Amino acid sequence: MVIDVSVSLPRGLTLKNPVIAASGTFGFGPEYSRYVDIGALGGVSVKGVSPEPWLGNPTPRVWETPLGLLNSIGLQNPGMDVFLQEDLPFLRDQNAVVIVNIIGHTVDEYAQVAARMNHEPGVAALEVNISCPNIKEGGMSFGQDPDQAYAVMKAVRQVTDLPVMVKLSPNVTYPGLIAQAVEAAGADMISAINTLVGLAIDIKHRRPALGGVTGGLSGPAIKPVALRVVYEVAQSVNIPIIGMGGIATATDVLEFLLAGAQAVMVGTVTFQYPKRMNEIIEALPQVLHEYGFASVRDAVGQALPGRAPIRGGGQ
Amino acid sequence: MADTMISEQVLAPIVENRAVAPDHVELIISSAVLSQAEPGQFAHILTPGMLRRPVSFSRIDQENGQVGLMFQIVGDGTRWLAERRHGEVLDILGPLGHGFAAPDPTKPWCLVGGGVGVPPLYAAAARYLHRSRPDVIIGARTADWVLMAQDFKDLGLDVTVATDDGTAGHAGTVMGPLETWLQDHPDGQVFACGPTPMLAAVSAACEGRATAYVALEQRMGCGIGACLACVVKAHGKEHAEYRRVCTEGPVFAAKELIW
Repeated sequence: MVIDVSVSLPRGLTLKNPVIAASGTFGFGPEYSRYVDIGALGGVSVKGVSPEPWLGNPTPRVWETPLGLLNSIGLQNPGMDVFLQEDLPFLRDQNAVVIVNIIGHTVDEYAQVAARMNHEPGVAALEVNISCPNIKEGGMSFGQDPDQAYAVMKAVRQVTDLPVMVKLSPNVTYPGLIAQAVEAAGADMISAINTLVGLAIDIKHRRPALGGVTGGLSGPAIKPVALRVVYEVAQSVNIPIIGMGGIATATDVLEFLLAGAQAVMVGTVTFQYPKRMNEIIEALPQVLHEYGFASVRDAVGQALPGRAPIRGGGQ
Repeated sequence: MADTMISEQVLAPIVENRAVAPDHVELIISSAVLSQAEPGQFAHILTPGMLRRPVSFSRIDQENGQVGLMFQIVGDGTRWLAERRHGEVLDILGPLGHGFAAPDPTKPWCLVGGGVGVPPLYAAAARYLHRSRPDVIIGARTADWVLMAQDFKDLGLDVTVATDDGTAGHAGTVMGPLETWLQDHPDGQVFACGPTPMLAAVSAACEGRATAYVALEQRMGCGIGACLACVVKAHGKEHAEYRRVCTEGPVFAAKELIW
């Protein structure tokens, strides 16, 4: 049984397998390196990076919900200069395919980070985060309006040759419309979904549980929503999709591939099971084989209605 | 210290499940790795929920390769944990974080614990007893909830108890007995663990007098420093910054923190 799990994406971005650490749950890598074989991952999307340091939101920042996790971290990060000096070298040494998740309060701030990352050795791709629900200015508001999403992606495209994916919010009526807007602005890929906006109540203190009041819901609870968005977006655009939302097993990965994703990101489950991404990568060939697929590529889009699977980039 | 120490994902069998007070349980578990812990460090325990539960070590027995984990049942995760029995195996990350450094043997030493904050102080007392003998102040809501008083007495230590309802020891919080202690030992050192308002009061009471170290509790995500959920506001070089309770803490010098 030889199952090809490699993934070819636009602008020459190739992954040895489709399992990428999702932004925000994996820090910049070193903390998990004790538990995770980082070099064996398909890639690592780092915690969101802004031009200047961001302090993040008040605590509590996490709250457990049924089959889910509500978070309001607020994109705390040390800023792009510190990231490049202190954090990127570690991941580069691990031979990780590093995807830099970029964030900003304004279009210009996104462009600043994108420009700074361009030609930086060890940066393989950018993920434009226009979908974080936990910041007041910018963030998700860019991802909820097709014109603003277009503007951010356009500004990023003008300053970088790197493969760029845009991370979509599920907190919109038609994710496909946002996807089309960023595709038109030059996005190479879509990653979806970011977290769903939610609220938890702390009964004991009679107030919202999170310091940031609302938070972003992740974990298995959101998997059906994520699959629906991937399925919808796959029929709306011609660029590859990186799917995520509640993935915890290799069969979950296959579901996302069938719904139209070419690769996936894995996040929340890592908090419970630090080694899970490596375990998924090990199990994936067997799962693909069991269901009659000779490669990851073979499975992509097979659940989409009456159309051939979307072709990957890389040509 | 903890930076050079081992921390692993271990499968550790439960040796004993003890009810120590109403809604309070201590699990004794067998793990050579965890028994390398410093007092104040914690175990991050897998439960059926989405997040592991951080519990600090109540006992650290290197000789027998065992540790104690004492906690209050406050929700589904801790209830599940309280129902685990002898022979069952727990999936634990640890030991994690930075614990209590050894006390300065030339200065008087006091331990101030509130509620389920007492256990890591017992671990500290047991570990450092050969260097220094602490005075112990334990606070609880009511007499039944006073934790580990006998354990401290078994170490030969004097224990002062304060209960909110006056059913044991002083009526009121730990702050009354602590103030008395601080007046007698203004150059002392205080290790404290308990609810955040108590720690804020201890920090304020010690300011300009004793050196205070506090072990914090915070809602935690990954437990190893990646997710930045369990942060606490601290005085940075130029301006305020967040530090991670799971990594830079749980034990901090009280004066580092912004209360």
